[in-house]
Amino acid sequence: MSDFESSHGNGPGFTAPAILNLAAGGLEPLAAPRVRSARLAALAPRTISLALKRPKVKTFSHAFSGAGASVFFQPADKKGTKPGAASSSGNKKESGSPDQYTRIKPPRDIVKLEDRLFYVLQPPLESWMAGAQMDFPFKPFPYQFEGIAFMYPRYACLLADEMGLGKTMQTITAIRLLLRSAELKQVLLICPKPLVNNWQREFATWAPEIPILAIEGDQTKRRWQWQLSDMPVKIANYELLIRDRDVITEPSMEFDLVVLDEAQRIKNKSGTTSQIVRSIKRKRSWALTGTPVENRAEDLVGIFEFLAPGYLCPQMKPRQMGQLAGEFVLRRTKDKVLTDLPPKMYRDAHIELTPEQRESYRMAEEDGIVRLEKMGKEITIQHVFELVLRLKQICNFDPPTGESAKLERMAADLEEVAASGKKAIIFSQWVDTILELSKRLKQYKPLEYHGKIPHKDRPGILDRFKADPTRNVLLLSYGAGGVGLNLQFSEYVFLFDRWWNPALEDQAINRAHRIGAAGPVTVTRFLATNTIEERIDQILTEKRELFDTILNSSEPPTRNLGLSKAEVFGLFKLKCPAGAIDPSK
Amino acid sequence: MGASGSHGATALGFLTAVEHEQGVFGGYLILNAAGRPLEFHCTAPVKANRPQQILYGPTLEPYLYGEVIGQALLEKGVAKPVIVCTDREAMLAVRPLASMAVVQVWAPPEQADGKQLRIDGPHSVQPPARFFNLGRNRLATAAGHAEDRKLLDGKLAELIEGFDLNEPFARIREAIREAQQVS
Repeated sequence: MSDFESSHGNGPGFTAPAILNLAAGGLEPLAAPRVRSARLAALAPRTISLALKRPKVKTFSHAFSGAGASVFFQPADKKGTKPGAASSSGNKKESGSPDQYTRIKPPRDIVKLEDRLFYVLQPPLESWMAGAQMDFPFKPFPYQFEGIAFMYPRYACLLADEMGLGKTMQTITAIRLLLRSAELKQVLLICPKPLVNNWQREFATWAPEIPILAIEGDQTKRRWQWQLSDMPVKIANYELLIRDRDVITEPSMEFDLVVLDEAQRIKNKSGTTSQIVRSIKRKRSWALTGTPVENRAEDLVGIFEFLAPGYLCPQMKPRQMGQLAGEFVLRRTKDKVLTDLPPKMYRDAHIELTPEQRESYRMAEEDGIVRLEKMGKEITIQHVFELVLRLKQICNFDPPTGESAKLERMAADLEEVAASGKKAIIFSQWVDTILELSKRLKQYKPLEYHGKIPHKDRPGILDRFKADPTRNVLLLSYGAGGVGLNLQFSEYVFLFDRWWNPALEDQAINRAHRIGAAGPVTVTRFLATNTIEERIDQILTEKRELFDTILNSSEPPTRNLGLSKAEVFGLFKLKCPAGAIDPSK
Repeated sequence: MGASGSHGATALGFLTAVEHEQGVFGGYLILNAAGRPLEFHCTAPVKANRPQQILYGPTLEPYLYGEVIGQALLEKGVAKPVIVCTDREAMLAVRPLASMAVVQVWAPPEQADGKQLRIDGPHSVQPPARFFNLGRNRLATAAGHAEDRKLLDGKLAELIEGFDLNEPFARIREAIREAQQVS
């Protein structure tokens, strides 16, 4: 019995397994297994490390001065804002957030990166003007913003927009921005004598905060004016330059900007005016003209002798000249910016009477009022009308001398109209005025259309005006030319003297502005300042504004907005006599 | 055009990047409250190498635009704007490294004119939901920095409401183009 059996007992049902007692002599014990050992070497994996170094960043930095401030400017005075005036954004609700952005682009002749970045990084003009609280009587058109952006960075430029597109406004606004950012301190503006007052008025309209000085008076006074250093803008006329040549060409006399209006005046570079203008010490040179090339390509060379001497030469071919000049010249025509323009563009030409006219006017008015007052109850509206008409005639032409401030101004405009090949119609309420104008404007070979022209001749006159390119001017009376004519090929309308009733004026203007008009019509209305014409205009304007305000209508008024009897008497502060007026007296 | 002027007044920062075959150009413009430029900083082109492109994977853009370019530019600024705007979502990654608020300005896609509508997906002209309105601007704060919105709703609200915050980015892009031409 095996040990196993003995330990576990051999009870009933238990069958002990068969056990072999190896030790007792059965099988031989197993030999211990043979172990063969192999030492494994520890293999270090090969590693490659990639250093993720932070890339080195090279930077370039430019610092600019903050919003520049000229010593001439104070924060915008809101009292000067006209009711309904627009901010440059045109939308008071979204201040500084216009829908269009006009950016200043540096011209090619600015090569230094820092200088180019200065212009590129400026805010859009619309935001800049809104932020600077620059108010405008009305929102500038998009093409005008582009013109301002063109002029602002340029040290030499020629703005050659067609007449009536607002070269004056664009120039004044560009000057305004440059003065505000302290890039200019002294500006000299040179223009024809009849336009000096116009520029003063335009500055008052578009940049009322800029002090302006018109150089005028005797020699001593002018010398003192030239030497004033705290006047940012001085206006002088071309004729004055010749007389004050010695003063303005002194080494100490320097301007940051010289602007030439009607720059075709200096197209002849050997002329005295051109020589004087070119000798004025200046940093920037701007020229304005609607007709940079009047007759020959050399005209442009003459202007460029002021802008960038030696840049153009007469021997150049026109194409080459155009390519070179392109960087300096901006010209838009009305048909190109048509979508931006209203169909009728009004501009009021406020004219200062010549000294002779002023004296005649003063004497006639004083004399006339005295006579009217002496009439007492005998006075009728007809008497007052007669005085009004007499004074209006003096505003046109001075009876003794024939002087006419209006004609001087209109002649400057007609020069451009004729040079550009466009047509102009001129209205007057008097045939005598038309005859005088015809004589004084004979270089334009004007045609006449009025009551004294036989009816059978009238159609031929109109045909000739339309077809003949050398006939640029048509003189019409309101009576004969105001109704029923189709003159839609005329782009310029001049109202030499104005009618009592705006509705009749509108009819006259609509001879040119009607279906089939080639383009927008520019209407120039002449007004002699501080005269009866201005007083009449004020009353008519108030009446029209009242009509529009009440009825919220931009349509022409259906009722007569002429002057009432009381208003006519009120022109001379006369009392309207009580009782019915007998119109036959 | 002289040295940088006074920085005591409120300044706004604008940060963006322009892709080019040479790499990514970063641009940073600091404006005064009137929108006039005070400082401009730009980078030379920055390009991730191939290992970085592989290993960073989807985090490459935030890393490159935000941490590398954005941080380098913000550090260069002398004037410290109260807020920095960016038109690139990836540049919001600079926020943890910046001492001022950084927000993204939503810029509608150029071809969208407000009249494009899709019937098979979200209208492309609408900003994602994370953007909130402030005046005419749509803004979004960086993830984890919702407190920046309080700054916008507070003292900056009046300043920013009337400001088109997308407009300065066009200036930066044009300035980078000028710098590229010179170099």
